[in-house]
Amino acid sequence: MKLVGIAGSIADQSYNRTLLNFIAKNFTGLVDVDVLDINEVPMFNQDDDQTNSPVIQNLCKKISAADGVIIATPEHNHTVPAALKNVIEWLSYEVHPFDGKPVMIVGASYHTQGSSRAQLHLRQILESPGVNAVVLPGNEFLLGDVKTAFEENGDLKDQRTVDFLQTTLQNFIKFAKVINLISQSNGYQDEDLSAKKGTDTTVQGIDMNDDDWLDKAAKKVNAVEGGTYVKLDSGLLTVDQLNYFLKTMPVELTYVDENNQFIYYNKVGKAEDMLAKRVPAQVGDALDKVHPNIERVMKHVKQVIYDLRSDKTDLVSMPVPGGDKDHHVMHYYKAMHDENGNYKGVNEWAVDLKPIVDQYLQQTGQKLVPDPDAKLDATSGASKDESKPAVDANSGASESVEEPAVKPEVKVDATSSASKN
Amino acid sequence: MNKFIAIVGSNSQKSTNRELLKYMKRHFQDSAEIELVEIKDLPIFKKSADKYVPQLAKDIAKKIEDSDGVIIATPEYDHSVTAVLSSALAWLSYGIHPFVDKPVMITGASYGSLGSSRAQAQLRQILDSPELKARIMPSSEFLLAHSLQAFDDDGNLKDEDVVKELDGLFQDFLQFVNISKQLNNAKDVTKQKAAAFSWDKD
Repeated sequence: MKLVGIAGSIADQSYNRTLLNFIAKNFTGLVDVDVLDINEVPMFNQDDDQTNSPVIQNLCKKISAADGVIIATPEHNHTVPAALKNVIEWLSYEVHPFDGKPVMIVGASYHTQGSSRAQLHLRQILESPGVNAVVLPGNEFLLGDVKTAFEENGDLKDQRTVDFLQTTLQNFIKFAKVINLISQSNGYQDEDLSAKKGTDTTVQGIDMNDDDWLDKAAKKVNAVEGGTYVKLDSGLLTVDQLNYFLKTMPVELTYVDENNQFIYYNKVGKAEDMLAKRVPAQVGDALDKVHPNIERVMKHVKQVIYDLRSDKTDLVSMPVPGGDKDHHVMHYYKAMHDENGNYKGVNEWAVDLKPIVDQYLQQTGQKLVPDPDAKLDATSGASKDESKPAVDANSGASESVEEPAVKPEVKVDATSSASKN
Repeated sequence: MNKFIAIVGSNSQKSTNRELLKYMKRHFQDSAEIELVEIKDLPIFKKSADKYVPQLAKDIAKKIEDSDGVIIATPEYDHSVTAVLSSALAWLSYGIHPFVDKPVMITGASYGSLGSSRAQAQLRQILDSPELKARIMPSSEFLLAHSLQAFDDDGNLKDEDVVKELDGLFQDFLQFVNISKQLNNAKDVTKQKAAAFSWDKD
């Protein structure tokens, strides 16, 4: 389980940091704890929003990605240190990484109280609506008289204290698993099909849904074209060569980035001749613009993307209904990742399997016969996927995800602008 | 006439807590002299080996020492006092103890309907800690809810009932300050204890 630890003190010498470092070191078998630094966080001020500064973005990203958070708070003036409260204020203003996040509170103090009052304040703070963390109930870990509690090497001296800390931590792990399970089941609802959030590759300042997005965005980023070379991981091609290559792929490819923006498709032709109907004016659109605004459809699109984004599965496949004897069109959605495993979007391809099967049968001298034992849903063979939501998605989303890709009013533009190509 | 220091618990330009204190300064000018003090330029509290305290904090401490009482207006962020106020109070109790036995009136304004109730409750606990040991006016609470709509264009409180409540509480505070001046017997001991206390030592 991946946790982040926040020591609530920015003092040069902090026993709460020592405590977190001890947890990180001593319980490596149980948890992987990354202790964060809050030293450089500026003072919160509504008038000077620094949410986008690297230091706050970094904290936000690490907390969001963690399975849980351990906060170690000292006590100052019967409350949490201002420096800790300050971090929480930033992380409950424009961004909310603590929302639904399991949190465990520990604390060390020089006095016998062991930060008891600060811990109570911290609970109140973490439960406020802007923060909305889910704090482990009970299991209070108060380390009093902290000056004498550690060995020179930072280990806790008292074995009973270590044992108690381990019990508390084990309880937290169980708690965090349950809490994360609860929040995950609703996770797909957070998928933003309007692509408002943006990502580091999103072209800023151009309306995504503009019909001329491609030209405008390309100009904005000074995109290369024509005979310019592009170095790839395992090859060197010009942009022209890349186009020749992609256009002749035996499948129809679509690129949707991690921000849910549709940024590329490989086959430019008449929309009605395509398996997955796409038109040039749609390039750049947010996903909610290329699907009809029907709740059921949106929900299934979100579920498919969420499953890919959250590693529930790395491939979702669904047949397009209404196929006949000559066609069996499949759509595949494959998660793409960067070298660090971060989700980078969906590689979608559409392919008609029937000609492939026919060719195979012809070359091997076989023929298809109906299977008398086949269950009804065996027709959608690919749906025997482990991922449950994907299977659900099949029935409803299959017609929805693809068919509506071309909206009637765009279709006219589509053919005209497509033919210009 | 009593002289009070009014601490603005927010660093926002648009703070309705500042507006409330400005109103009090004007509204009560015949019965007390109120000076508004800003804490927005203080850095985040940080302990250091040499117990450094910024000059600005020392200046504010001096003003508090010389005053008859302190009025604090606190917003509520995340069910609690603002980091900037918490930080200021930490500086104002780090080797200096201007709040010891000082009468304090707590007020607060919020955009919502709760009027910073939870922040005020925490502020009481904070002011009661060993190095602050302020004399918080007991059994009184002034919560200004829906503060964005509470003032007219001249900065006066619109609601007559709210004005009446504040008038009453302020009169009580004046009495409380007078009584507090009589309660001097333990002051030296309390000051010594505050000075001797440290969150770092035992």
